[in-house]
Amino acid sequence: MTNLNAIDPAAIAEEARIEHDDAVIPKSTIILRRFMRNKTAVTGLAVFVLLTAFSFVGGFFTPWDKETIDPFNIGNPPSADHWLGTSQAGIDLYALVVEGTRISILIGLVVGLVSVLVAAVYGCAMAYFGGKVDKVMLFILEALIMMPALLVVAVATSGGGSSLKQDLPSWLLLTVVLLVFSWMGTARLIRSLAMSLMQRDFVKAARFMGVPARRIVWRHLVPNIGSLLVLDITRGVTGAILAEVAFSFIGIGIKVPDVSLGVLIGQATSQVSTFPWMFWVPLLVMFLLTGSLAMMNDGLRDAFDPSSSSVGAARSIGTSKKKKNP
Amino acid sequence: MLKYLLKRSGIYAVMIFLTTSAGYLLAVSTLQPALLEQERIPRPTPEQVTSSFRLLGLDPTKSPWERYVDWLLAIVTRWDWGRSPNGAYINSEFGDRVWISTRLFLASIILTLIIGVALGVYSAARQYSLQDRAITSYSYLVYIVPAPIAYFLVQLGAININETVGERIFFVTGISTPGIEGGWAQFVDLLAHYAVPTFAITVVGWGTYQIAQRQYLLDNVNADFVRTARAKGLTRNQAIARHALRVSFIPVAQSIAFTIPAIFAGGFFAEKIFAWHGVGSWSIDAIALQDVNAATATLAYGSMIFALGAILADFATTLVDPRVRVQ
Repeated sequence: MTNLNAIDPAAIAEEARIEHDDAVIPKSTIILRRFMRNKTAVTGLAVFVLLTAFSFVGGFFTPWDKETIDPFNIGNPPSADHWLGTSQAGIDLYALVVEGTRISILIGLVVGLVSVLVAAVYGCAMAYFGGKVDKVMLFILEALIMMPALLVVAVATSGGGSSLKQDLPSWLLLTVVLLVFSWMGTARLIRSLAMSLMQRDFVKAARFMGVPARRIVWRHLVPNIGSLLVLDITRGVTGAILAEVAFSFIGIGIKVPDVSLGVLIGQATSQVSTFPWMFWVPLLVMFLLTGSLAMMNDGLRDAFDPSSSSVGAARSIGTSKKKKNP
Repeated sequence: MLKYLLKRSGIYAVMIFLTTSAGYLLAVSTLQPALLEQERIPRPTPEQVTSSFRLLGLDPTKSPWERYVDWLLAIVTRWDWGRSPNGAYINSEFGDRVWISTRLFLASIILTLIIGVALGVYSAARQYSLQDRAITSYSYLVYIVPAPIAYFLVQLGAININETVGERIFFVTGISTPGIEGGWAQFVDLLAHYAVPTFAITVVGWGTYQIAQRQYLLDNVNADFVRTARAKGLTRNQAIARHALRVSFIPVAQSIAFTIPAIFAGGFFAEKIFAWHGVGSWSIDAIALQDVNAATATLAYGSMIFALGAILADFATTLVDPRVRVQ
């Protein structure tokens, strides 16, 4: 008995020595380095950051805003006065695009981040508690999936939500509805992954050793589904932006006078041949936005995946990428 | 197995009942068809509107709960889903529209699944080769295009082809040309109408499956059991086909359940853009026309389709995953 206790301090000292040894690189640094090594992913990140910056400060570079009508330039192609041309009503397209990009990015970030958070907590809770709790939570989740989001979006943003609509701008309403209907797929996936993890020996061992539930989830479940979570954040942001564009494109979702990329693209489809810039410019911005996110998505997957072989630069030096956990 | 499926079906039936009821109560308390009647010329008096709605079973003076009980009783006793504000019967209208939607999507769904999974396996087996990069970049490209915009671009392309040839090869809207009779001419007409929507939906759809299948297969290709299989003398392709593929198909089989209602929603975009008047476009029109019964009927249909997909996914999972035991 005493022997066991006597060994402990030495083992701890040994672990501490390994931990503070120079050879061990923290996990976050490794992930960051792997991500930075991927040129495509870094380009994606740069484009995304630039677009976000553009959507917040772009409005200061032009004298026009999204409400001012220029009666001398109605439906004009791009010119020195109006960099991206003007709409049929004589409103500067550059100002519209800045405003629309901001709304689209805001919707995407809020919906993407919050829905993954909700999904992770919900999914892990289902898998961890199991039994009755799991059954009830799964029932709620599937009932929510069954409600077609499209119909609820249409009801909420058209006739039905008229009282609600006076208090909230339509983009916020759309964000809330998208949020409520976007986390279930991820939650179900996380549940099934976490459930198979719960059967693994290391989780069982931790359980029998009396490690508290919160710590098992944090130390064993989250790192193992971490890559999926990060992927689902970028995927969720992309999905939310696409959903906003799709809904607004067909006229439900965001309503004029609120502007988003989807509204701009949707309004211009009927006049592609007469006012081509009104269609192609917002479409191009949307491609840049979703494209940069997709590029980041791939880079993040490789950075988080310890068995990925696509990031090869460090390997050529001859060092092993594998990190031994102390 | 049969018992398990029956039990699942029972749970889903309860779920369909709950979502449909919730949908009906939401619709009946927010949609107000009487407001649209005010736009008629000559404008009807409120009494006229009330009496005409009462004849249709849409009495606006009753409370939502009373209307819900009436509506539910009609369905349970006579399988009567009610009538629209313009007097049309939901049952007969629904039959036509379901048939149109099914015709539009059936071929595309099957093609999408087969092409997506096959390309996913092909590209994962040749990771980071030229073919893999080309296929996967294409899938990512499709992934970042919203469905309605992709359909619209395909439609523009088809119109351009028609213009360059100087002849109408493809029809970009509608289901069939009225008045064409006779076997061969009718068949050609059918093909000309189906080609563009089917092509558009398939080309946009397979990317998701390709990416998912590739990713899950790659997660397993380097696993120990695949290495063991190779050490025992299997070639790489044999090891992938016999050992890695089965495991990696489990999440994909699960995701099919979620794609089917997504197709129902995406189907709405396709139906709107290609002007096929199926269930999807009906559901949005119903909300625009403040039509409570039609909106609820489409919601019930969507829920039912989802339940079917979920049961199929469970079934597929038990087929491919021996570790999942049916209780």
